[in-house]
Amino acid sequence: MDSLRQLAINEEGFVFNPATGESWTVNSTGLYILKLLKEGKDEDTIARQMAAEFDVDLETAQRDVVDFVEKLRSYRLL
Amino acid sequence: MDVVVGITGINAIDNPGPGIGIAKSLKEDPELSVQIVGLAYDAMEPGIYMDWIVDSAFLLPYPSGDYRAYLERLRYIRAQTGLNFLFPVLDAELPLYIKYQKALEAEGIRTFLPSLEQYKLRGKDRLEEVAQTIGITAPRSAVVTSYEELARAAEDIGFPLMVKGVFYKAYKAFSLPEAASYYSKIAAEWGYPIIVQQVVTGEEMNVVAAGDGNGNALGMVGIKKTWITELGKIWTGVTIKNDRLLAAAQAFIERYRWKGAFELECIVDLENDTVYLIEINPRFPAWSYFATGVGVNIAANIVRSALGLPVTVADYEPGKLYIRFTDDFVVDMDVFQKMMLRGERR
Repeated sequence: MDSLRQLAINEEGFVFNPATGESWTVNSTGLYILKLLKEGKDEDTIARQMAAEFDVDLETAQRDVVDFVEKLRSYRLL
Repeated sequence: MDVVVGITGINAIDNPGPGIGIAKSLKEDPELSVQIVGLAYDAMEPGIYMDWIVDSAFLLPYPSGDYRAYLERLRYIRAQTGLNFLFPVLDAELPLYIKYQKALEAEGIRTFLPSLEQYKLRGKDRLEEVAQTIGITAPRSAVVTSYEELARAAEDIGFPLMVKGVFYKAYKAFSLPEAASYYSKIAAEWGYPIIVQQVVTGEEMNVVAAGDGNGNALGMVGIKKTWITELGKIWTGVTIKNDRLLAAAQAFIERYRWKGAFELECIVDLENDTVYLIEINPRFPAWSYFATGVGVNIAANIVRSALGLPVTVADYEPGKLYIRFTDDFVVDMDVFQKMMLRGERR
């Protein structure tokens, strides 16, 4: 979580890790999830918020969040 | 205050020396009025002709030759220019300057260099000891002086492994015959001992920094090279703030009371959260202007510290980009003629 907190994220989805110099781009869904994770929200809360705000059912939102979180884990950000 | 600073390594070529970056840094200090004297070993070193950065230029005899001739040349340059500070930045000349730093100071030419004892820390045979002292780790390694020892070390470390000279050259070997051929090659060129080292994987990250000799930092910046040339030289890079890396540089300055500029080359294994010390360079790297560009003017702080002027150790932001580019310009032949005939451009 420490790695995630220190990420620099801009509004267009450019993400920079100041500890390693690595950078990535994320799409708007990734950006949405990333921001909420940085705020300390858990996966389930984020999925529910997504389902409430966007035209997506809860199951799809949960799958998207889990997929994205796994991706972050593979980059050692979580 | 007027300072006349001699700087070597003004060979701004595809394998650039650190000199031009240092000269640019000193010129950017608004309170130091610096005259730059470029010191070159070849009349074709580009820095000689870059008169918007290098105010005058002189050829030097090779440092591996007679030191008396070398010192005599520096005396002449001091008489002509008022040279009162000197940054030697090339590996080949550091032993000479470290040995004669007091003699030079007596002649009115100050330097800001480590002691001979400190300088020896950069030997690859001391890497594990230094890494441990500054709180990081080093690849497993063995110092060998015979084929038998090489074979034993290879069995212990396993393949692939690096075969390195104490100060220069490094090759990756995948088998004992290959390691043995590199062993012979390095021994023939650079002598013994030879270092056999574990291959480590991760992100290459470096720190440029300087110590004042009393355990205080004169500035430090961590970077990651994002694009390197075929010669392995940085072409683009990015500033980073890796706590463990910067803490190691700080510890290096404090524990060893390091005096002068240095670069730590490390490999950071992010998966296992391990920082490996790969090399200590007891001088500025060629990319040291990167630090100045992000507000940490280490070269100016060295001059300020040497002259007893106030020093500000600034912080920097991660995520700043460094970009090299090629450039060209045209000068009259008479500048080249002067360098060839008189060995100087004033």
